[in-house]
Amino acid sequence: MTMRLAAAELVESREILPGQWLQAYHAPTIASGSRAGQFVHVRTGDFSGMVLRRPFSVNTADLATGVITIHFRVIGRGTEWFTRLRAGDEIDLLGPLGRPFEVDPRSRHLLLVAGGLGMAGVRMLADEAIRDGRQVTLLFGAASSREVYPSSLLPDEIEYVVATDDGSLGHHGFVTDLVPEYEAWADQAFACGPSAMLAALARQAEGRRGRLGVASLGRKRGGGRGDPAGSPAARRKAFLQVSMEQNMGCAVGACLGCVVMSTSGVPQRVCREGPVFAAEELVWEGAWS
Amino acid sequence: MKAKRRVIMSSGRPLGASRTPRPPRRRPALATVVPKPKSEPRSSAATSQAEAADAARDVEIDLSVDLGRGLVLPNPILVASGAFGYGVEYGDVVDVDRLGAICCKGTTLKPRIGNPTPRVTETPGGMLNSIGLQNPGVDAVIEKYAGTWAGWNVPVIVNVAGESVSDYVEVTRRLEGVPGIAGIELNISCPNVGKGGLQFAIDAGAAGEVTAAVRRATDLPLLVKLSPNVADIRPIARAIAEAGADALTAINTLSGIAVAPGRGRPLLGNIYGGLSGPAVKPVALRIVYEAAQAVKIPIIAIGGVTELADVLDFLSVGAVAVQVGTAIFADPTLPVRLVDELSAECRRVGVTTHLDLVGSALPNRAGAPSAKGVEYRP
Ligand SMILES: Cc1cc2nc3c(=O)[nH]c(=O)nc-3n(C[C@H](O)[C@H](O)[C@H](O)COP(=O)(O)O)c2cc1C
Ligand code: FES
Repeated sequence: MTMRLAAAELVESREILPGQWLQAYHAPTIASGSRAGQFVHVRTGDFSGMVLRRPFSVNTADLATGVITIHFRVIGRGTEWFTRLRAGDEIDLLGPLGRPFEVDPRSRHLLLVAGGLGMAGVRMLADEAIRDGRQVTLLFGAASSREVYPSSLLPDEIEYVVATDDGSLGHHGFVTDLVPEYEAWADQAFACGPSAMLAALARQAEGRRGRLGVASLGRKRGGGRGDPAGSPAARRKAFLQVSMEQNMGCAVGACLGCVVMSTSGVPQRVCREGPVFAAEELVWEGAWS
Repeated sequence: MKAKRRVIMSSGRPLGASRTPRPPRRRPALATVVPKPKSEPRSSAATSQAEAADAARDVEIDLSVDLGRGLVLPNPILVASGAFGYGVEYGDVVDVDRLGAICCKGTTLKPRIGNPTPRVTETPGGMLNSIGLQNPGVDAVIEKYAGTWAGWNVPVIVNVAGESVSDYVEVTRRLEGVPGIAGIELNISCPNVGKGGLQFAIDAGAAGEVTAAVRRATDLPLLVKLSPNVADIRPIARAIAEAGADALTAINTLSGIAVAPGRGRPLLGNIYGGLSGPAVKPVALRIVYEAAQAVKIPIIAIGGVTELADVLDFLSVGAVAVQVGTAIFADPTLPVRLVDELSAECRRVGVTTHLDLVGSALPNRAGAPSAKGVEYRP
């Protein structure tokens, strides 16, 4: 669906974790037009002080009710402003924006990997995958148990595996430690989170084909012929797709504020060519990462 | 070399060629915004205003701006370079043909990948950007976009950047005669490699030199964009006007730095960024105010326009038009709305063209040149 400006009414606002909020907005055009991985650019009320909109992943979208949710951490004046909104208040959304995750129709097993707020980037893909009859394992990493996304907010059908840096819940260590266990099971992986986590996942994914041998025989993935780099078809064939974050100005591709570097040497706009990229499209080391 | 001229349509009426040309405005056009009485003097201010409003309702408001060399903007609300890409990005959200003009992203001779990230960050009442002039180069810009632009009514002005006089001249040569390109805006806030990286924009000699060289190379309408990062704008504005620019645009961003919260190091990948948004408006007003007293060519104001009051402020200090930049990010529909609001405002105050509002805040020309503020400026 093409992007549009839409007025959205706040339905519900809840602090689900310390400093982390889940807000539901009634925005039927966005709810029906969004796919997992896309985002909305939301205007704050105080333009004279805060001149930029704030980008949020579409965390969930419910066609039946026309409600979308966003999930954010209070990190500054803008996010703070959003927490003061009350049910019935109206905000201005621009969306849906960016390109969605591309799931290969043959993929049965999807591995989702989220670090902290990265949950918002992959959350909707869990819903879409279950709707389409796929199996989902969601690996989630946080600093401690206090920041672990409540399983009650996730669909029952998924396997939810948690890692914490301090060991207060689940695996003691990084979420990326858990990945090798699922490497053979997963047909495709989709990740969102801190850039160090994504870079580690990208390195893991690079070596995967070599390590797996038999399990991947006959499955042509990653760089299929005839699919130009960056095309939805090329992404659909990639094992690892990542949802990137970057500071944004316009969110429609006009200002070039939000780029990440691609292996082709041409900066790619997170808001337009992304936020979802095949991991192998991007440069993970150096001044640009 | 003769450039192709486009006829710019406004409400179905061809402007420019077929329209009786208005003599070029000389600022200050009017020192007052009071509506002129139509016939006999009115008895009371109240009836006079009411009658003026009645009479004005069916009067057609002419918002066009003649910048010379055949470039007539249908209205004085432009979108600023860097905030509106190549005009195509906002898609259906903005009706581009209702804009006064589009200044496209800065264009250089060779492709540029731009600066490392982060490239943008919000600051109090504004933002910093350090895009680093990422662009695909002039040839790719022409190939990708000129065809689309040629199909639009809105004039597209290409913002040109370079690191040497010959860069600017060469980019201009390639734009000359290309259908869809209505004019050039020189972004001279670039390091002049030939002069040890000193920006063209901060040196009257260099600014005049690059303007003159581009002027010799093209018949296209030539706008030159001023940097606010200078001690005194007047000699620079004069040098550019004398070198043959058709109009000045002002201002580009102010140089600034942001520190990453809690990290104690610069936030932007490039360390330095350009400040824009409402925070810079007073600086832009001051620069336009001073430039308007130094030159006779039209001035297009840029810097922190977010509402009609800002447009009126810039008109009053001598601008004939404005560009909207940063505010588009929050409200892409703002520029088109400002066109309607300015039209309504002209009706309300009883003028048929916004040009009658230009220059009301400038010191009286007949008096001594204003030295106020100069000696006390920090
Ligand atoms: C993201 C961004 C990119 C910009 N890129 C350019 C550019 O390429 N060339 C140029 O002359 N000015 C550029 N500018 C400056 C604007 O055109 C304008 O002069 C400035 O932002 C002040 O106006 P504003 O306060 O309305 O934004 C850019 C500004 C922003 C915010
Ligand atoms: S945020 Fe402006 S190009 Fe992506």
